Parts: sequence; structure tokens; C-alpha cells
Amino acid sequence: MEIFGWIIVALIVGIPLWGILLYNNLVGLKNQVKNAWRQIDVQLKRRHDLIPNLVEVVKDYMSYEQETLEKVIQARNQAVSASTPETAIAAEGLLTGAMGKLFALMENYPDLKANENVSRLMEELSATENKISFSRQFYNDSAMALNNGVESFPSNIVAGMFGFKQATYFEVPEAETATPAVDLR
Amino acid sequence: MFTGPVPAEHMPESSRTKCPECDASNGSHARSCAQCGAPLVANWQSSPRLRDKVLRRTDFMAAARANQRSTRLLIIALLAILCVLGYLVGWSLQLAGQGLPESADTIWFVSRWGIFCALGLFSIGVLWSWIAFRSGDRIVLRLTGASEVTPGDEPLLHNVVEEMAIAAGITRPRVYVIETEALNAFATGMSPARSAIGVTRGLLDSLNREELQGVIGHEMGHIVNWDIRYATAVGVIVGLIVLVSDGAMRALYFSGRSRNSGKGGAGSVFLMLALVAFAALAPAFAMLVQFAVSRQREFLADATSVRLTRHPEGLMSALDKLAHSAQPFKGANRATQHMFIVNPFRNFREKSSRLYATHPPLELRINRLRNLGND
Repeated sequence: MEIFGWIIVALIVGIPLWGILLYNNLVGLKNQVKNAWRQIDVQLKRRHDLIPNLVEVVKDYMSYEQETLEKVIQARNQAVSASTPETAIAAEGLLTGAMGKLFALMENYPDLKANENVSRLMEELSATENKISFSRQFYNDSAMALNNGVESFPSNIVAGMFGFKQATYFEVPEAETATPAVDLR
Repeated sequence: MFTGPVPAEHMPESSRTKCPECDASNGSHARSCAQCGAPLVANWQSSPRLRDKVLRRTDFMAAARANQRSTRLLIIALLAILCVLGYLVGWSLQLAGQGLPESADTIWFVSRWGIFCALGLFSIGVLWSWIAFRSGDRIVLRLTGASEVTPGDEPLLHNVVEEMAIAAGITRPRVYVIETEALNAFATGMSPARSAIGVTRGLLDSLNREELQGVIGHEMGHIVNWDIRYATAVGVIVGLIVLVSDGAMRALYFSGRSRNSGKGGAGSVFLMLALVAFAALAPAFAMLVQFAVSRQREFLADATSVRLTRHPEGLMSALDKLAHSAQPFKGANRATQHMFIVNPFRNFREKSSRLYATHPPLELRINRLRNLGND
């Protein structure tokens, strides 16, 4: 009979320990999701800082494209002033579309690409675009890891007890999935 | 009746099995390829063990765990080799110096010197791995002759490294460049938080942005899978075994000359032979294990690169360029060869020496990436 006593003691000690491990794992995943979300913000801010510089440099060369440049600046200002995540996502989508159109148009100006300032800014901006999409990708990967933890047994019990919620995925807005149309006149 | 060895031309052709995926030659009873793990029997799906093995090849997380487990085993095995080597050295030194002790009735006595030597070598091994884990990255960076570059010097390279670091969710590694025309890249460091990536000047000059991204993604794969720490530690420990057995051979040679013969008798001679055999085999064995481990890592890092970039074509075309480059890597070092994306000592006839290869053939790696893209 003594052995049953020991088994019960082992269970009483073991199950809370296991619960602590699961809980800590969930906390780690949640913080990773938060951190990944901030990474996206950092990269978006960098994009906002770079755009005025680029427009300033290219506007002398591209005097016929005032409309496109204005659209870029407008979209940029909207994105900067967006207050809620929903409007921010929509504004960033518009901005990405406008930037894509500007990049495509710049291909028509060989002088521009020869300018060292412009090519440096272009590299910075395309790197920033990449960083934005990679930080989204990492955010979604982290969100998936957290959601797996929240949904799957046995960590879903711990998640339910302490109120861990599933993270929402970063969906690419519709305006971004559409390829910018290039008008070849 | 004459029963010599059967001439080669009379051997049945079917006694070797060619792997359909990588052309490696396998034993007749092999069920899966020793080189790439592809199944060799037609009905492999009916065998649970084989099916499991094949599925595991594409399961990235399981592969990472298996990889780390096998590396821990490797370090334990290497420390064990040091113990045996130390015992043999102490044993034969005691025999050579004192002859058989009074109490022993055979030559298989428990040697006190042997135990001391084994313990000594073991603690040197532990100390050595501790040093390797603490400052191995600095040693490696010095050995490769790489110099650190700032974002101002190499904006494109820094951007690509930062992009991949963001995709992997780690802090940006330090960036190094090796001034050589050869095409190569490596990663080192002790943890993802403290790591470095180095590329050659030739690589920077001849790859476009997407290809560079694939290569950096491969190196980032080595970092996030913790390959870098193990690779550094294993390299340093293997280096120690080569050093010790080299020294043992030399000590034996001199003690054999200075000592007058006949003191230890036949037993001493036998032990000497055993020690010589072991001392000669240990480095070869250690090298083989080192190579076997690093080949799996290359496949895993290629897969991780694709997971980070979501674009297999970049790495495929980069590997293609690396395969067709004929620029020799001057100043490459044997101790760091397994850390590079392609072996710097590649002799351009890669099918010749599969057993000693640190890296799988490049065509095989490109083929696997193509399969990844199709999934």
C-alpha cells in the first residue's frame, strides 16, 4: 500500500511542475508575438523616414510624374497619422501600392539610376520593403506557434486557466496583393 | 585445389546497389542510401521504420532535434576516445619505464599511470571544449582571415543580413568579409545572440541580391539551428585528438630509441603496436565522424534558407554559380572547412571521395531544393 502513497505524492508534485513548464512556454510564445509585432512597427517607421528623402531627390528628374509623387507623399502622410491598427494597415497597403508604381516608373529614367544618391536610397528602400515583409512573415510564424500552443492538448488547459488568447494573423491587404499596373505608353 | 580471392570481374554486379537519387554505391543489403538516406528497396512504404526515416528527412524540426542529439553523442564519443588514448599512453609508458609490476601475473594489469593519463587527457578535453564554447568564434574568425565591415562599407550585404535576421527573429549577426576571389560563405558564433557571418569578396561580386539572400539564409539556418556552436566545439576537440595522437607517436618513437630492448618483453611490444594502431586510427575516425555530421547539417541549412526566404530559386541559382566557379580558395584552413557553405578544398570531382566529404555534392543539394519548391 505504501507504493500508492508515493505515486500520489509524485503526482501531486509532478503535475504542478509540468503545468509551470507549459505556462512558461506559453509566456515565451506570447512575448515573441508581441516583439514580432513591434518589429513590424520599427520597419514601417523606417520606411516613413526614407520616403521624403527619395521624393526630394527624384522630383527634379521626374517632373512629368508629379501626380505619382504626390500620391506617394499623401499615402505616406496618411500612414504616419493613422491611429488605429485597422486604418494603419489600410494606409500602409495604399503606400506600398504607390511605392510600387513609383519604382516601376523610375525604370524609365536611366539618368536616375546612374545617380549615386538615388541608387543608395533605392537600395535602402527596397531593403526596408523586404524587412517589412520578413517581419510580417516572422510575426505570422510566431502567431502560429502561439496558436498551436493555445489550441493543442495539454497546453490548452493551462491556456484556458490563465486566459491566453490566440493571436490574429497579419493578413496582407487587398490593395497590396494587386500588382501595380505599369502604363507603357 | 587453388582457392584464391575471386577476381573482381567474377563478382556479381548486383552485390552493390546504386542509389537512384545520388548515385552513391551501397552494400547489397542496404535498405536506405548511406549518403542521402533515400530508400533503396521498392516497397519501402510497407516498412514502418523506413517510412519513418524518409518522412523525417522532410520534417525540419525533428531533423534539428536529431541533429543536436547526434552532436552531443559525438562530443561524448570524442571524450571517450581521449580517455582510451590516455590510458594506452600511460600503460605503455609504465611498461616501458618500469616493466611489469610485481603483483601482475599477465600483461593485462590495471595500470595506475594509465588511469592518471586518461583522467588527465579527459580533463584537458573538457577544458578544451570549455575554451571552445567560450571563445571558439574568435579563433575561427582569426583562422579564416576575415575582417569586420560596417554598414557604411557594405550597405547591401548588411541589409541582406539584417533582412534574414528579421525573418529568423534573432539579433543581427556581425558581418565579415574575406578578401579572396573564391566564392564561399561561413557562419560562426556561440549562440544566435552572439554570432557572425562571413562571405568572400568573390561571392559579393558575382551574386545578385536574391542569390546572396539565399546564401545568407543558409548561414542564418546554421545559426538558428545552433549548428555554429557545435561545429566550433567539434572542430576544436577533433583538433585536440589529432594533436595528442601526434604527440603520442612522437613520444613513443623517442622512448623506443632511448630504452634498451627486452625489458618489457613481448607484452610491451604488443602494447606498443596497439598504441601505434590506435594513435594512427583515432584522427581518421574522428575526422570521419566530423564529416558525417556536417553533411546532414548542410541539407538542413538549405531547407532553413528556403523557410526564411520562401524563395528556393535564389539559393538554387547561387549553388549553381558556386558549383561552376573554378576560383581556388587560397588561405583556407582544414580546421574550419566544415563551416563553409561549399567545401573550400573541393577538388571539382566531387563524386570521387564521398566518405571523406564534409558537404553533399552540389547537384544533389540543388535537386533537393527543386523538390522543396514543388511541394
